[in-house]
Amino acid sequence: MSEPVAPAEPVASPGSTPPPPGSARTGPGRLLVAVYALFALSATARAGVQIVTKFSHAPVAYLLSAFAALVYILATVTLAVGSPTARRIAVVSCSVELAGVLAVGTWSAADPATFPDATVWSGYGSGYGFVPLVLPVFGLLWLRRLATGARERSASPRVGARARRWSRPVRRKSRRM
Amino acid sequence: MNGAVPTTIIVAGLALAGYALLNTARNRRMTVPMLVALGVLEVLLLVEVGIVVAKLAGGGRPASLPTLIGYLVAIPIVPVAAAFWGLVERSRWGPAVVAVAGLVAAVLMVRLHQIWPVIHV
Repeated sequence: MSEPVAPAEPVASPGSTPPPPGSARTGPGRLLVAVYALFALSATARAGVQIVTKFSHAPVAYLLSAFAALVYILATVTLAVGSPTARRIAVVSCSVELAGVLAVGTWSAADPATFPDATVWSGYGSGYGFVPLVLPVFGLLWLRRLATGARERSASPRVGARARRWSRPVRRKSRRM
Repeated sequence: MNGAVPTTIIVAGLALAGYALLNTARNRRMTVPMLVALGVLEVLLLVEVGIVVAKLAGGGRPASLPTLIGYLVAIPIVPVAAAFWGLVERSRWGPAVVAVAGLVAAVLMVRLHQIWPVIHV
């Protein structure tokens, strides 16, 4: 879009640089990124092992595992980067994730034969303590709060003070309002 | 004997999670005691990894060797990553990250047992 693109965000070393204006990474976002990274890692590793070692055993389940892994990676990176564009992508990936866990959860209950082996999303994420079901909801809530927070902060300084108690103050250059 | 280490890790992980969550609830940042606790957890996890590697060296094989190796690689990273990610966050959400690491350490021990039951015997 028209806003100036932030100089390439060093994804490889998050934390070593101050977060960009409007980062989704600080505050509760820090926790969210940590849990997303955990799921990105475990889903990727699990899907990789399944596909490499025994793909024909349950192809549908393993391909869905791989798809889930990709969505988790995308959500982790976009939440960590936190630029306006990244946040829009994060909203999409969290939504796909929520739809995926609901669809695959229902599918695995209705047609267990297709899922001789579990995916991250089968049984609505029951194998992972239902975290896969809850995580996208928190992700979307946090992204929405960031969006409304940014709007309210520019309108009322008091709301800004309250928001700063929850997350580290971030130097905000007004980019595009 | 071998069951003592994972059990200790589960108890320690849950205790650390509780302590860290208390800090989050009280709006505290990450503190030195929390780093020390993460260090202790790291040592315990490394001991557990050592026990599993010794079992592998002794000729034992789990049902899925790649999965077990993945766990052995991932397990020691958890406290280190949590310490780093929690320290850069100078707010109550730093301890929250540590709480997740404590829970994850406990869950990983349970999963490790499911992957290869022999290590608990």
